[in-house]
Amino acid sequence: MQNDTLSYDTLNNRPLPKWLIDQKNGLSTIQPQKIMMREDNSLKISFIVTTIFILLAVAVLTVYFLKKHKD
Amino acid sequence: MKPAYFKIIILAGLISLACTTRVSEWVLLNSLPNQYTLICFHNGPLNETLKKQNLNVADRIKTANIQFKTVPRQDIKEPYFGLYYEDRLFSRYNRPDEFRNLTTSPLRKKIAAELMAGKLCVMVYLKTDNIEKDEKGLQTLQKALVASPFRKIITVFELSRNSKEEVHFASLLLNVEDDLKRIQEPMLFGIFGRFKALEPLLGRGISEENIILMIDYLTAECSCLIKDNLPGTDILFADKWDNPQPALLNKIIDENPSLGK
Repeated sequence: MQNDTLSYDTLNNRPLPKWLIDQKNGLSTIQPQKIMMREDNSLKISFIVTTIFILLAVAVLTVYFLKKHKD
Repeated sequence: MKPAYFKIIILAGLISLACTTRVSEWVLLNSLPNQYTLICFHNGPLNETLKKQNLNVADRIKTANIQFKTVPRQDIKEPYFGLYYEDRLFSRYNRPDEFRNLTTSPLRKKIAAELMAGKLCVMVYLKTDNIEKDEKGLQTLQKALVASPFRKIITVFELSRNSKEEVHFASLLLNVEDDLKRIQEPMLFGIFGRFKALEPLLGRGISEENIILMIDYLTAECSCLIKDNLPGTDILFADKWDNPQPALLNKIIDENPSLGK
């Protein structure tokens, strides 16, 4: 009979229910947000923006004073 | 306050509530059981006797999660009935008296009452009637439950797979997966929501670790992942699921918040 020939080995090979696999792997619970490491460019950008700002300010003021002293 | 703001606050409240609801409670309150289909296959036009008989059958099952159909087939000699769940044939009956108590039974009524009373789940231990095998699994189950903080809100019922009184219920359980009928091992079904049966633990799979994982699954916060892919099979049952008692699980978690994480 089929039932008598059913061995534990056969049952061991039987796939587990999906809900049980998911639970074992922690997939059924709410996953914590994954924190990704990203390169921080904020300091570099800040330096560049500040430099551009200072250069522009110096240039504008230079032009302004040169024009004023010409008169 | 403008009505639009009020609506936003209410909506935000509901969304936050949905995210903290536990799986077992969410399924009971929100997940409608899937429908079975009972089909009367017949050859040629329906005679008066068959029409009368089918009306009687349809009336008997109308309160359950099942619909009744008649389908003509040219390749059969005698009419017969097929019980289907999501295109899977569960059972075949030659006469209506073979499925007299198809949609209800004493044990199913008891299980529904436990679920409506706010219990986390009902575990049905389906026995093989091989005492040695059955006792081993039962002892493991009892050990796991004694160690669980949720033991008071879990009810265990034992059922023989050869039970005559619960023949339809046992058959429905053995159809939760298509190979279960062939496996002569004790099986542990977790039943929750509106009579949803999880795919069972069976044989050596009835371990303390797996039983705890089953409880963890039902006590977990309900994520969209679970809502979209609810496992299990809805068991055929004639009952209304209105106004269940508040989930007893919430009281246990409120008293001991670490259990809810």
